[in-house]
Amino acid sequence: MNIRSMLAATTAAGIALAGAATAQEYTIGITQNNVGVDSYQTTYEKAFIAAAEANPDVQAVVLDAGGDVARQIAQMEDLIQQEVDAIIIWPTNGEAVIPVVRQASQADIPVIVTNSNIAEQGFDFIASFSGPDNITQGSRSAEIMCDKFKELGIEDEAQIVQISGQPGYTTAIERAQGFEERLPEVCPNVTLVETQPGDWNREKSQQVMEAFLVKYDDIDGVYSGDDNMGVGALNAAKAAGRDGIIFVGATNFAVGYEAMAAGDYWGSIYQSPVDDAEAALQTAIDVLNDEEVPFLNYFDTPKITQDNMDEFEKPVF
Amino acid sequence: MSEAAQERSARNAGGSSGAKVGTFLAKQGILIAFVLFMVSFALASERFLDPDNILGVIRSSAILGVMALGVTFVVISGNLDLSVGSLMSFSTIVVLDLHDTLGPALAILAMFGMTLAIGAVIGFLVGYLRLNSLIVTLGMLSAIHGLTLTWSGGQNMDIADKAGTWFAVFGQGRALGIPMPILMFALLAAVLGIVLAKTPFGRKVYAVGGNGTAATFSGIRRARTVFTCYLISAFCVATAGLIQASRSMGSQNTVGQGMELEVLAAVILGGASLMGGSGTIFKTVIGVLILGFIQNGLLLIGLQFYVQFVVTWIIIILAVWLDIAAKRGRLLSPIA
Repeated sequence: MNIRSMLAATTAAGIALAGAATAQEYTIGITQNNVGVDSYQTTYEKAFIAAAEANPDVQAVVLDAGGDVARQIAQMEDLIQQEVDAIIIWPTNGEAVIPVVRQASQADIPVIVTNSNIAEQGFDFIASFSGPDNITQGSRSAEIMCDKFKELGIEDEAQIVQISGQPGYTTAIERAQGFEERLPEVCPNVTLVETQPGDWNREKSQQVMEAFLVKYDDIDGVYSGDDNMGVGALNAAKAAGRDGIIFVGATNFAVGYEAMAAGDYWGSIYQSPVDDAEAALQTAIDVLNDEEVPFLNYFDTPKITQDNMDEFEKPVF
Repeated sequence: MSEAAQERSARNAGGSSGAKVGTFLAKQGILIAFVLFMVSFALASERFLDPDNILGVIRSSAILGVMALGVTFVVISGNLDLSVGSLMSFSTIVVLDLHDTLGPALAILAMFGMTLAIGAVIGFLVGYLRLNSLIVTLGMLSAIHGLTLTWSGGQNMDIADKAGTWFAVFGQGRALGIPMPILMFALLAAVLGIVLAKTPFGRKVYAVGGNGTAATFSGIRRARTVFTCYLISAFCVATAGLIQASRSMGSQNTVGQGMELEVLAAVILGGASLMGGSGTIFKTVIGVLILGFIQNGLLLIGLQFYVQFVVTWIIIILAVWLDIAAKRGRLLSPIA
């Protein structure tokens, strides 16, 4: 850097102190996991583009890996080549993307991970993680379930089953972990008799629940890793004529919201893809503005039950 | 009895009643495997043979089963169809979306029309352009997925007014106490079983898959036969999509993802040859039921699910081996 540009930089810094930082335009690249695979990701992308367009200081480069790790790595390399100011990544695989994240960090491009985190070995190379706290979601679901059992007076004998997400998927593991750890703390006498995966798939979950209903004469509650699977389980219970089961899920979907309104489904966790997308973009902007950002920057995902659902808008996905 | 004698008696069609039993066993190896493992599951879990459970398993296998019926035709004709899972997602999403705009009857008609049109495209590419069916349907697998996503915009599709429509009848209704999906599966299996075993068209399918050149010299229009097989497959897929949509009254875009391999596994498990020329509808149905009951049985036993993947594979390999061993009349047959 020669003297002239140093002078220019100092002057610019002086002006920036006066609030001109907003006048700077940032190019922010995002590579998403698999848009179109589900409504959450589709809505996320729309919200992200809308938020970026609404912000005159941001120029967004929006890419989608289509669930393919190799393609995501290539997209990361492209973004590094383009010398964008920051990269947001929704990892297709928490382990496999670490080398290319490291490459970005070596090129001095801050990387923000969104929605589901990368593996811990990669934490040195990222500026921040922005997304939901799935362990807290799991424990909140346990609380919702337990509170309802207490209200019904069955907290000392209730038996429940769990339908978890795709085996090996971080979100599935963390939600199950949060639920299984919290439940004995709040309702020590409730028994979790069995857990089987529903693979985030409504039909698969319905089949699993059918088998549970045959196997157990007494099921008081079902915890599902998301509402899509929860509604599958509910369908199975309805078809078998088994009433009075308390269904609790996570990631409130429109179908779950409707089932709650109909009184069939007790509660869930409200996780908005719009909040998720906006939080990711804001985290990136804050990092670029050198503001202090928590390393794990969670956005809030509140409890929603039949009792308070009026406070929430029906999810669009 | 020596090994050679056993093999001889298994092959010998006429003669003593012992030889007849041998022939029967040799032909029905897969049936024996099925009975064997039904008995072992029943011993492991007393709920397994509960009539509700049996009906439940057959009902949830019906979707896979209906698809497997069509693929049986395609496989016997010497081709593959890897696009059925993706096509099933398409028909499910389409019928659910059109339901709210056109009403149930028209939506079903339109969905069958579109699904058959896609089947015709595949049939044309494989039958008339003679392109490799593996490549064509593998490509179709992702092309149709793209089509589905474009149609839905990636959103889940749900019927708005679930209570105010008769659409639920195909997936959730019952007739004579039997769930509709089972009846549709049984009816389709019966009709297609007769078509394959008793009609001139059925014999053409075997001929084309068994020895294409000989079929041509016998005056069989191979292209037309293959084309028709893909139409039958598409019709079955559309029926499966209808059951699926009606069963859950809503769907993700990926509902059929991965089913193409399960379908193929069921067909091959039933004993159809990947080289074409052999297989029956009845055995495919057995293959489908084996897959369905494995899944259900393992759940009822309460095996940890990481282990289930491994056990499922072991059971499939056992079943295939029993089938082959019965045909050959001996347990071991090293590659010579």
